[in-house]
Order: sequence, then C-alpha cells, then structure tokens
Amino acid sequence: MTERRVAPLLPAIMVCAGGLYCAYLARQALMPFVLSFALAYVVNPLIDAVETRGLRRFHIVLAFYLLAAFLLFLLAQYLLPLVSAETSRLQVDAPAYLARAQKFAADFQSHAARRLPRSGLPIGQLASRAYASAMEQLQLAPSYILRLFPLISLFFLVPFITFFLLLDGPLIISTLIQAAPSRYAEQALHLLNEIDASLGHYLRGILIVALAITVVSYLGLLALGINAALSIAVLSGVSSFVPYLGAVMGALVGGIAAAVQFGTPKAGLQVVALFVGIRLGDEMLFQPFIAKYSVHLHPLLFLLSMMIGGEIFGFLGLVFAVPAACIIKVLLNVAWEWYVSEARLRGHDTRSCIAVPYT
Amino acid sequence: MPLPRILKRIFGDPASSRKRAFLKSLDLFRDLGFVELGYLVENMHSRTYHEGEVLFMEGDIGRALFILESGQVELTKTGPDGKSQKIYTIQSGEFFGEMALLEQLPRTATATALEKSQIFLLYRSKLESILNYHPRIGVQIMTHLAQLLSARLRRISSAPGGMPAS
Repeated sequence: MTERRVAPLLPAIMVCAGGLYCAYLARQALMPFVLSFALAYVVNPLIDAVETRGLRRFHIVLAFYLLAAFLLFLLAQYLLPLVSAETSRLQVDAPAYLARAQKFAADFQSHAARRLPRSGLPIGQLASRAYASAMEQLQLAPSYILRLFPLISLFFLVPFITFFLLLDGPLIISTLIQAAPSRYAEQALHLLNEIDASLGHYLRGILIVALAITVVSYLGLLALGINAALSIAVLSGVSSFVPYLGAVMGALVGGIAAAVQFGTPKAGLQVVALFVGIRLGDEMLFQPFIAKYSVHLHPLLFLLSMMIGGEIFGFLGLVFAVPAACIIKVLLNVAWEWYVSEARLRGHDTRSCIAVPYT
Repeated sequence: MPLPRILKRIFGDPASSRKRAFLKSLDLFRDLGFVELGYLVENMHSRTYHEGEVLFMEGDIGRALFILESGQVELTKTGPDGKSQKIYTIQSGEFFGEMALLEQLPRTATATALEKSQIFLLYRSKLESILNYHPRIGVQIMTHLAQLLSARLRRISSAPGGMPAS
C-alpha cells in the first residue's frame, strides 16, 4: 500500500502538447467543429431531458431541428422587416447625420480655438482624413463581402456537424471511456465530468447572457427612441460572447449613434447609462450563477488567456479563450490529483467520531 | 396491435428500456419511477470489461459506484503475507465500490473481471448533480447506502471478536 509507483505523466503531456500543436496548425478547418461542439454542448441538456422519457435520440434531435427551423422562420418574419426598415431609415437619415456630425466637429473646433488659441487642433484635417479613409474602405466593400463567404458557409456547416454531435454525443463519450485502459476508466470518467461541469455551465451561461443583453438593450434603446436599436442590440449581444465587451460596444456605438441622431451629448449619455445598468444587472443576476459552477480563473490568467486566444485565433479565440483555459486548468488539476494518488504522496483523513461504538 | 404499442415501437428506445428494466430490478433503485430511472440511465456510463481486466486496484482513489449488469467480477485483497486473497465474487445484479459515492478514499480491494462483463458506472459528481436536481432519486440511493452500511456494521458487531455494541 505504501509503495511508490512512477506515473507515466510525461508521455501524456507530450501527447497533449502534440495534439494542441496539430490543432493550431489546422485551426481554420477546426473552426466549424469548435462552433458546432459549443452549440451541441448548449443544446445537449434539452435532448437529454427529453430522452429520459424513453424516446429514441434520433427522433428527438430531428424534432428539435424542425422546431428550431420553425422558430427561426418566425423570428426572421419579425426581424427582416425591422432590419429592412432600419437600413432604409439609415440611408435616408445618413446625410443629415453626417451634416450634424460635421457641425458638431466644427463647433468643437471653434470652441477649442476660443479656449485654447494656441492649440491649433486640426479638426478639419482630421475630418477630411476620416472621410477619405471611409471612402477608401467603401471601395473595398466587395472584397469584405467576399471574405464573408466562409462565414456564410458556417451557417450550413455548423448545424450539419451539430446534428451528428447531438446524435452521437453519448456514443462518443462511451467510446472514449471504452478506449481508456480498464483500470483508468474511472479516471477518464472523472476527467470528462470535471470538464463537463466547468465548460457546460460557462457556455450555457454566456449564451443566456448574450440573449438577455440583446433583448434588454433592444427594449431599452427602443424606449430611448434610438433609430438603429436592433442593429446596436445585436452588435452588443454578439460582442458579449467576449467577456465584458458587450456592454462596452453597446455603450460606445449606441452612445455615438444617439448623440448624432439627437444632436446632443445628453442622448449619448442616456444610452451609456442604459448599458452600465445592463452590465450591473448581468453582474448581479447571471455572473454569480456562471461563476458558481465553472472553474475559477485568477484575473491574470483570465487576461492572459484572452490575449493568447485573440492573438492566435482572432475573435473566436477571444470567445473561446476562457473555456479553453478552464479545460487546461481542469486537465492540470486532474493530472496532478492522479499523480499524487498514483505516487502515494498524500495521506487520507479518517473521521475522529468513529471511536463512538455502533449502537 | 394497439396504437400506444405501435408508437412505442416506432419512437421508443429499446436500449434505454433494457437499462431501465435492469436498474428497476435492483434493490437500490426499486422504488424509482419511469422518468426517474430515465434520469439515472442518462447519468450512468456503461463499459464492457474483458476477462482479466482490472477495474480498480487496492489503494486507487475511488470515484464511482460499479453495478454489474452481466458477467462476474472478483474482489481480492493483499494479505499480511503480501499474497492476493480472494474475498468475494460479484454476480450480475450486485453493485460494489459504493463507498466512493460517500468519500474519496483509497479502494480497499482489487476488482478484476473473471469473464466478459457489462458494468454501469455512476460517478460521484453525477450523484451530486442528481441530489441537487432530482432529490427524490438521490434520497432513495443514499437511504439504501445507509441501510447497507448499517447492515454491515451490525454483522461486524455481532460477529465473534467483532466491534462491541453498546
């Protein structure tokens, strides 16, 4: 019982490192799979809950897809006219907004010149440079649209891959447990459960947060009379997949849009106040739930993971940086626990109250 | 053929039905209903162990309860002379390793499959999740475990030279 055994930790680390390097090399091809995996992870509890009624998984997944398609169709029926109306309104109002922005810049320049006569703020130069830059970007629009084609293909690929992940998810887990050496099946189960506990709650949590931010900010912006409420709300919701970015984007873009629309900074400040409120609400209502069940990351590790994720994988890297860091932390924790138990490095507590005789 | 039967044949999952029927036959889960057994099936993992495969070794940290669906599993313990001694042979329908559900301590015996065996594993954190979200199932399992522990203690205390009962 007290003998020490050498655990084969080094080969496991080398295999993991090799796998990660291969994943890095194939990162473009893996993107739809990562998104599908995340989507399947979020939806899977629903499928599991229905499966407890004794129905075949294939039928449940198929029914879910039909229901999702129907709901998306209804949503599109409601949203497309709104998007169309917002775009047309923007086209009509754009010259007036531009004139208002130029007037605001000119007023600011004259105000600055009065207060700081020697400052010589080149507002006019900056404005013309910004205009030239905008026109340059406008000419590049077709190439940007072409770049979006791979993203459009994701709309077809992700549901397709997700379907099979949902259908065969339990089979994949069973295969992994069956493939583990018999004595370590329990350990493999331990690892899968730990990852599931931290990752599942995080992914489901951020999806709920993104939806809540989209809906609440849309209603708030509508109440404030902002014309592009839907676009700003969707932008804020999508950005909120990156921690803390949603409210910042909403406040920034919404604030500028409101200031330009109403021609007064007060309107912009109202939008900023709205997003500060949304952020505080998120912090009080959702974050405690997400943090309760997910792996806790030190703020520095959180920041580091975001920077590395963003550097290597761009926007998706920012979205998946925290879950990836959680998985790495779980892997290290489980590997260390395993090493400690294999090498018999730690004793075990026994309860002191067992001295009382059995009655 | 009546309509419910036809629907069950089309939409029902036979593998899930088989697992439910097996779990229902065990004392541990006999009082659970259809949907509760479904939750249990969802939270359990099944694995096939071949003859001679070791499930766990004496001293390994236990983290799961094992339920033998089919086959045979031998429990052995290292004696004072360092030799392995057979202590029990688990038959289908019996469960073992249940103390792992209560505390993560080293296993007190080694379990080896004597023939091809189909085994369900209920992992500790899954039981915790069941206790949180489906307390009725959790209470049933914990009650049976407590009764099992009590029975074992009574047997030890009533055995000659066993623990004195006050």
